[in-house]
Amino acid sequence: MIQKKICMIGTSGVGKTSLVSRFVSSIFADKYLTTVGVKIDKKTVQVDGADVMLMIWDLAGDDDFQRLQTSYLRGSSGYLLVADGTRRVTLDMALQVQERVVAAIGAVPFILVLNKADLAPEWDMDAQRLASLAAGGWKIVKTSAKDGSGVEETFADLSRMMVSQK
Amino acid sequence: MPSEDSSSSAVLEALGYALFVRDEVGALRLAGHAPAWLAELWPAARSAGAELPVADASPFLENFLIDACECWSADAGRRVESGPWVEQDAASGEVQLQARALTVAGRACLLIERLGAAFASQVAVLQKARETVIALQRLDAEIQKKEILVHCLAGDLSGALGNIVTSLRLIELERNSPQTLQLLNLAMRGAQEQRSLIDKVLGLFPDELSGLYGGTGEIRARANLAGALNLSIEKVTASFSEKGVRLAKPDALGDEIAVVADSAHIERVLENLLRNALEHTPTGAEVAARVSEEADAVLVMIEFPHEAPLTSRSAPSSAPTPEVLLRMRFCRIALESCHGEMGSRPREGGGTCVWVRLPKWGSSE
Repeated sequence: MIQKKICMIGTSGVGKTSLVSRFVSSIFADKYLTTVGVKIDKKTVQVDGADVMLMIWDLAGDDDFQRLQTSYLRGSSGYLLVADGTRRVTLDMALQVQERVVAAIGAVPFILVLNKADLAPEWDMDAQRLASLAAGGWKIVKTSAKDGSGVEETFADLSRMMVSQK
Repeated sequence: MPSEDSSSSAVLEALGYALFVRDEVGALRLAGHAPAWLAELWPAARSAGAELPVADASPFLENFLIDACECWSADAGRRVESGPWVEQDAASGEVQLQARALTVAGRACLLIERLGAAFASQVAVLQKARETVIALQRLDAEIQKKEILVHCLAGDLSGALGNIVTSLRLIELERNSPQTLQLLNLAMRGAQEQRSLIDKVLGLFPDELSGLYGGTGEIRARANLAGALNLSIEKVTASFSEKGVRLAKPDALGDEIAVVADSAHIERVLENLLRNALEHTPTGAEVAARVSEEADAVLVMIEFPHEAPLTSRSAPSSAPTPEVLLRMRFCRIALESCHGEMGSRPREGGGTCVWVRLPKWGSSE
């Protein structure tokens, strides 16, 4: 079976762990519980009829309290760069950490995930900035770990991108 | 096989540590007794001398062993830590672990610790800290939205009031009866009162800033301009790359340029100016940041190709967005509070140069 390692990357409180819980266990907890360290989950998906085992590394949010340890990224075939759609600053932080990821593991497939799409009235993203990222070839999706929208599709898309990469 | 020291092994076991020692063929073998958590998590490694089946046991450990091997092959005395990670035991419970690689008496050791109460306290502190940061970010965004709204409302009111005043002045030129002139004076006085109210609303921004420092609102702190400029450049670099705009940094900035300013404010001022320059610069063009020293002050210049009076309060031709206006207002207030100033001038060869002048630390303003 093909095995692929993917990492969840972004600052704290954007919903990385919630996205993994939704995808792996179909569970969502409303209460925010910070991740300290690393948790690894596995799930098999189908890509063009073939089973692909995803090894999902849920990394602690990169912020002033804890910096991303780039050694955790070793061997990653792709990553989800997660921002909170209701907090504009999390996109800036995601872009900053993405530069460090590229410096550490080079250009591997990734998707920019704007999570918390269920909180539409509080949405606060710079549309122009997103348009410019999309124009630069970035794949950007909206998800909600709470209602599940876009979650399966995002992991499936990243799996396809990783498999077609090599 | 490592030699057994039953008392130290018992201490390690009691502390929740599992010690593995690398043998001649590279296998990691358990030294001493296995703590209960190890037996539950990786039953294959529970007896003394048993091999830790790293590849099957934990992808995290497998990854960490690359760093561990580097550590073991380096000089003695070096150690490397994995950071905390979570494993799932047979009973579906989560076990928090941390590994350390070190060389002791020429033997490569891997020490795995089950994290306990101290770790739980650390998590609780981080939880609280992160919740606070998120709440602050939300509050900051909310305040910024309200500031923009107030600014826009004040701008709209000011525009309408300008029309009223012009109309009143035109009426004044007509042949008016004394009674009409009296009414006109009354209307003019009302309009002036409104204008002063609008100024008060806009004046809330400097008042808020002054409130932060109490008393006069003056800043007497020492800030490192070189560091602030480097940090602000670092913050905007990604946005510049995204838009495909080059950012020319100052040559030989040095480690410290001491000025009178609040470090956080001056960093935000410079970031705001760089972002404004970026907004007005087309893809493929260049924004240049330069620094020059004067006798009592330091001048920072942000140069870009667009011709825009970004630092004036009203831009007649291309009106800045409320966000830009607010940013500029913040910059002006922050600079005034430390006897600094800002302005703009046409750049030689076209474009704009926005400048910021800050008093040197130790100079008398």
